[in-house]
Amino acid sequence: MRRYSSDWYWYYAINYTLVIIIIFPIYWTLISSFKKPSELITSEPTFYPHDLTLQYYDQIWNFDRLKRLQDTESEDSESSGVEIESKFRLDGEGVKRPFMNSAIVSAGTIILTIIVCTLGGYALTVLNTPLKNFFFLLVILPILIPGISLIIPLYKLLKDLGLTNTHLGLILIHTCGMLPLGIFMMRNAFNSIPSSLREVAMLEGSSELKIITSVMLPLAIPGLLTVMVFAMYVSWNDYIYAFIFINSPENTMLNISLMKIALGGSQFEMKWGSLTAGSIVSFLPIIIFYTFLQQYFVRGVTGSAVKE
Amino acid sequence: MSRLRKEQLVGLLMVSPALILLAVFFLYPLVNSFYMSFHKWPLFGKPKWVGLDNYIFMFQDERFWESLKFTFVYTLTVTPMLFVVAIGTALLCNAKAWGTTFFRSIYFLPVVMSFATASYVWLWLYSEMYGVIVYALEFFGFGGENKNLNVWKTGTSSMWAVNAMVTWKFSGIQMIILIAGLQAIRDDYYEASKLMGASRWQTIWNVTLPLLRPSIALALILSIAGSIQAYEQFVIMTRGGPSNSTKTLVMHTVDMGFDYFKLGPAASLGVIIMIILFILTVIQLRLFRKNY
Repeated sequence: MRRYSSDWYWYYAINYTLVIIIIFPIYWTLISSFKKPSELITSEPTFYPHDLTLQYYDQIWNFDRLKRLQDTESEDSESSGVEIESKFRLDGEGVKRPFMNSAIVSAGTIILTIIVCTLGGYALTVLNTPLKNFFFLLVILPILIPGISLIIPLYKLLKDLGLTNTHLGLILIHTCGMLPLGIFMMRNAFNSIPSSLREVAMLEGSSELKIITSVMLPLAIPGLLTVMVFAMYVSWNDYIYAFIFINSPENTMLNISLMKIALGGSQFEMKWGSLTAGSIVSFLPIIIFYTFLQQYFVRGVTGSAVKE
Repeated sequence: MSRLRKEQLVGLLMVSPALILLAVFFLYPLVNSFYMSFHKWPLFGKPKWVGLDNYIFMFQDERFWESLKFTFVYTLTVTPMLFVVAIGTALLCNAKAWGTTFFRSIYFLPVVMSFATASYVWLWLYSEMYGVIVYALEFFGFGGENKNLNVWKTGTSSMWAVNAMVTWKFSGIQMIILIAGLQAIRDDYYEASKLMGASRWQTIWNVTLPLLRPSIALALILSIAGSIQAYEQFVIMTRGGPSNSTKTLVMHTVDMGFDYFKLGPAASLGVIIMIILFILTVIQLRLFRKNY
């Protein structure tokens, strides 16, 4: 293939067409979430919003405030605008609280995963831990059996431990699911650090924890970022665990709360506006991660599939 | 206490959080899923040993066979779709050209989105009256004279609609695997093929694809294992409908356990899914070990 031949025009034509096809659903959702109801719900779709509005974001985010407003409004003002429509929406739930719940679970999973996998990976690589190889095999065992086939006994376990409807239950399950990839990545990261560094630090009288935090971890940052990003991916994008293990409305996770919008609503335009806005809200944190940590993201997400 | 002794103790202490988590949230449920599948679980009172009754109940249940059949049909249709897009984009991104990094990061972008969010997004695109895909399809004459296309009307059309979404959402992962395989092919092969006067398609067909076989196998196994675990996309987009025609194995398990409260049969379903996935993962790991 030579440059400037007509082949290259085809090459870029195909690539850019694919780029447009891939981006389009996201673009369409984004502009839909900013369109006024009259423009959103029309048989003549417009490819860019003529009139921007933030009303869906305002509604799904501030539902509680709107609800209170609505309760105190008098009869005649109820017939106007947003308040009355909000009455039909969401069965009394906004996404602010579910967003916070998801954020707590994701942050918890990331922190716990990093702690557990760093300690475990360190002990199974650098230190003379007895049964090292056996423990390592044990820890990567879960890749053979995806957690989805264990949902029934897991539910029973969480119930017996009193951890259903809690953030902690989800955090522990996600962290356990992260162990194979996490320990594997951290082990690789520590393996590539020369052992002389540790010996020097030991001669200076540093404790093992001090050595990890000040000598080893700074050198293991790529591995650490991969683990972190994948922990975020697993916990933020989870649906089935959040659906089964959480029942109380105040602990609903974001992805589940969007289902209530998708199901609800005699008010058609409100439903689609809220759903597209909700989708963007749920996509935003993960896309920010992807933008800044792309290479680790690709490594982590595919690493989960490719493992060893 | 000697230095070695101390180091061993510190090591055990450090690895213990991982081991405890593993024991409680993996090993115990794993053993328990077999135990549960051999017991009857009344709402109150103690579990009772029933032998293979749960399995018999499950195998005699028509819904099990329907969901199994649907899961297989879904797997067999979505896998080629994913593969064609993945190999196409992988070849495009492997060319020595300006902009491949950009194209690759765009093709990977939908992978980042959760299955749930992607389902909500496409639910809107497919929306009966105002969805842009439905609008486009009607523009090209689908849906007949009076333009009332509804992709969720039949089980088959629902499945193809979901397949399109999954292809959009998931081919990026396979693309990355295939690109890794492509990059491992040495340039000599291409040069030799060029010297022998092969056209570009001949080169792809006779040189690239055979050498890529291990990565292709890995990508296919991955897609099969993923499809057998299909849940969110159908729960959100079709809700198993119309009339349970798009119910997957995992959906059936969840229904059995949490709608009908039949924990025993649900646990035995979990065991069946586990065995299928276990076999697939073992094949996947062997392929990977052998070839990399």
